[in-house]
Amino acid sequence: MFRFSVAVFGRGVAKRFSSSFPAEGALPPNLQLPANLVDPSRLKRPPPPADCPLPLLRRCEAVVPAHLSPMQTWVESLQMEDGEPLGRAELHPDVFGVSPRIDILHDVEKWQRNYKRISYAHTKVRSEVRGGGKKPWRQKGSGRARHGSIRSPLWRGGGVSHGPRGPTSYYYMLPMKVRVQGLKVALSFKMAQDYLHVVDSLHIPTPDSQYLLDLIRRRHWGESVLIVDVAEEFPENILQAASDLKKVNLIPAIGLNVHSMLKHEAVVLTLETLKFLEDKLLWHDQRYTPLYPFKLPYRDFP
Amino acid sequence: MALTSQLRAALVHIHAGSSAAGLRSASSSSPQQQNPALIESTEEFVFVERLIAPSRIPDPPKHAGPAPSGWTPPAETPPPLPYMIRRSRMHNIPVYTDLTHGNRKMTLVRKVEGDIWALEKDVKQFLQELTGKDMPTQVNEVTMTLKIKGHFDQELKSWLSSKGF
Repeated sequence: MFRFSVAVFGRGVAKRFSSSFPAEGALPPNLQLPANLVDPSRLKRPPPPADCPLPLLRRCEAVVPAHLSPMQTWVESLQMEDGEPLGRAELHPDVFGVSPRIDILHDVEKWQRNYKRISYAHTKVRSEVRGGGKKPWRQKGSGRARHGSIRSPLWRGGGVSHGPRGPTSYYYMLPMKVRVQGLKVALSFKMAQDYLHVVDSLHIPTPDSQYLLDLIRRRHWGESVLIVDVAEEFPENILQAASDLKKVNLIPAIGLNVHSMLKHEAVVLTLETLKFLEDKLLWHDQRYTPLYPFKLPYRDFP
Repeated sequence: MALTSQLRAALVHIHAGSSAAGLRSASSSSPQQQNPALIESTEEFVFVERLIAPSRIPDPPKHAGPAPSGWTPPAETPPPLPYMIRRSRMHNIPVYTDLTHGNRKMTLVRKVEGDIWALEKDVKQFLQELTGKDMPTQVNEVTMTLKIKGHFDQELKSWLSSKGF
């Protein structure tokens, strides 16, 4: 019986043993690569050198501190699938080059998940369960344990003693400056990890989704792309192209948030978005504490 | 001055020309049709806009050397040191004192950029010359702050401003 089982299993073991010698250079068929494996072909995009002949399409309007210098990045176009960069753009170091605070990113992401959360779990306490006002049997002499009500938490069908009570809200607000710093840190991370791309405008030649996918694949932008523009209205072509795609999403610049930036691998900004973001985010570094809510008019609100 | 045009329209000041009907409610039909002597003008709105609060902290006026209050402006070019200490939003040096447990005195230096350990070495050396004792310090590399045991805010502020921060 033992010799029979060895013979049966031996055949299976030999088959499995022979399958672990693949052909020279071919990957085994059951190999599973992790999704976040760094693609070496992505790493070949250095920042623009100092003597680059391409024009500087955008300078920083805000004052850059004396001890820092603006960062430069390529400005591309979406018109052709494999076009060369059109020029360079300057980025403010206080928005795109802040120190990498993953604790602030964690706080802001956690806040974004939880401040909207209302948990509707509710259990009835012994006083709320129907019935149980009468003492089930007399205190002494019946031989059974003493009880006062049939709905106490000891009983089957009784109330829950320490269960969830009613809709609970997990609403809290992080300070405004922490949320602003979270946005700056997220943008800096995307910039540092080479996942931030600047585009002059969002006009594409066809409303075809495959064009966008081919463009992203050709330029090695990543798996998922978040496209940000200032205006509420996007061009028709890119709206239609991105509407069918799950991993390419369009948002207006006021909707930019840390969760979306972390969820998508690449972030694409337009030149107007850069100006908008720098205005709004740098204002917080030099503003007064609010005398009255910022919803009401101020003289020089950004 | 980026006030909304709706606000301007709501607060538009309507001149009464020769007629005595100066106060008209905004919900009435346009005064141009009713009384051609009324003129709508928005030039006087400047006086309202002047009263609205600013939201940005202004840059301090140019001082040659220390101001009468004792405030010193930062140097024109940042000093050639491996670290940099930015000014606070009110243009002051970011050195603060802290008192916890009723008797624990600490001094906190915030807004440090660059090599914070070089700053810690320089601060320790400065305090060694000042007090003759080796003061315990704590460097927080995540928040880029430096904590020192004891109250040394005035000395550190004058030392940092003499360096040009």
